Amino acid sequence: MLSDTMSRRAVDAVFQGLFALTDIRVVLRRTAPRHELSDEDRQAVREHLADLKREIGILEEELLR
Amino acid sequence: MRCTREIEVRDLEEIAINLDPIQAGGRLTPEAMKAIIAYGDGYSVCDNCRKPFRLDQIKKPPIDSFHRDLAKFVNMDEARVMPGARRGFQAVAGTYAGKGDPVLLTALSHYTEFLAIEAAGGVPKEIPKDGANRITADAAAAKIEEVTRGHGSPPPLLFIDHFDYQFGNEHQVREIAKVAHSYDVKVMYNGAYTVGILPVDGKALGVDFVVGSGHKSMASPAPSGILATTKEYAPELLRTTRVKGDVTGRSFGVKEVELMGCTLMGATIMGMMASFPAVKERVNRWQEELTNGKVVIDSLASIGGTSILSEMPRRHTLTRVDTRGSFDRVAETHKKRGYFFTSALADHGIGGVIPGATRVWKFNTYGLTRAQCEYVAAAFRDIARENGIPVS
Repeated sequence: MLSDTMSRRAVDAVFQGLFALTDIRVVLRRTAPRHELSDEDRQAVREHLADLKREIGILEEELLR
Repeated sequence: MRCTREIEVRDLEEIAINLDPIQAGGRLTPEAMKAIIAYGDGYSVCDNCRKPFRLDQIKKPPIDSFHRDLAKFVNMDEARVMPGARRGFQAVAGTYAGKGDPVLLTALSHYTEFLAIEAAGGVPKEIPKDGANRITADAAAAKIEEVTRGHGSPPPLLFIDHFDYQFGNEHQVREIAKVAHSYDVKVMYNGAYTVGILPVDGKALGVDFVVGSGHKSMASPAPSGILATTKEYAPELLRTTRVKGDVTGRSFGVKEVELMGCTLMGATIMGMMASFPAVKERVNRWQEELTNGKVVIDSLASIGGTSILSEMPRRHTLTRVDTRGSFDRVAETHKKRGYFFTSALADHGIGGVIPGATRVWKFNTYGLTRAQCEYVAAAFRDIARENGIPVS
């Protein structure tokens, strides 16, 4: 069965990871050129990084097993 | 850093404040960036294209309802997405300008409006600007009269830019439309610098066609744009194909002739759609954008020998400035010559001003945060002081 080998989780994790990086990219744009982040910005970046790490974990589980 | 061996990463927006006059309103929203990641492949929106096989009828993703929303957004009856405003001009000219027909535009019109008329076989006729670089209804009436006398009948069509690309000045669209209609001249509204950044109501303006630019003002990738019209003109402007192959007998369903069938089949329309909720919301913050921009205008006006060439007070964030009496004086003796100014701006993390420009140039503050506008304002004053230019 195709579904035995296909990793829907890995595909989703790639997109979710790219989306988390995009959110960080937007913070860089909004704070250019000095990138002096407010407390709120830092909290947002922390959350995006946590999302990104979670997706990387999923990719490791799914593709390097 | 590079995308490929030959293509550098474009990171201008991440490392600098970009003042480029044409790029401000086209900066993508995060939603558009994400949509493009998923829909970058060529015909990516065609996975679920079903009969009658036309872009504006696709339900998944919901491109059909997006078209209805676009029409509502500019308060017109029908809308289509186009590969840039210029293709909207071309569709209107292609429908209504016959060979040798005069078509009115203005002394401040964009070159693509001229080319659209030329492609249709029409003859462009410019409404002159007044001393304040504005297009008035009186000037439009006079030009219609003049052209009618020369041609024997009124021009079929008039193109008017709400805000022009040269000065960012506002022109008398509503009044011009009224005058034009009194001569049975159809009116195309060029909203390249309005649709998507400030509220536009086509019916309140009394125009027959509204054209907007996705990549200039709707936070969308290029080339993208919209063309909207009324119930009255939709059957002509959006007419469907009628031809048949003489050998094969093939016909082509409901494809629209002026659109060459489907227009935006991938990342462009998905970028537009993804940005649209934010775009609909941001037009209501136009006054805030003008207030932020004023910080930069006031800074430039405080620099000795500098004058704002655009109308004042500013009603748009795109502004033309004359620094021949300030930064250009410095350039005369500076070792970097004219490049000293853009080099100094780059040192402050500011880009988008044409390299070497120190005489007359344009900038656009649209989309910058208040903090970024204050930063730019301070940078202009600092550069002036550092080079011995008085600042009041």
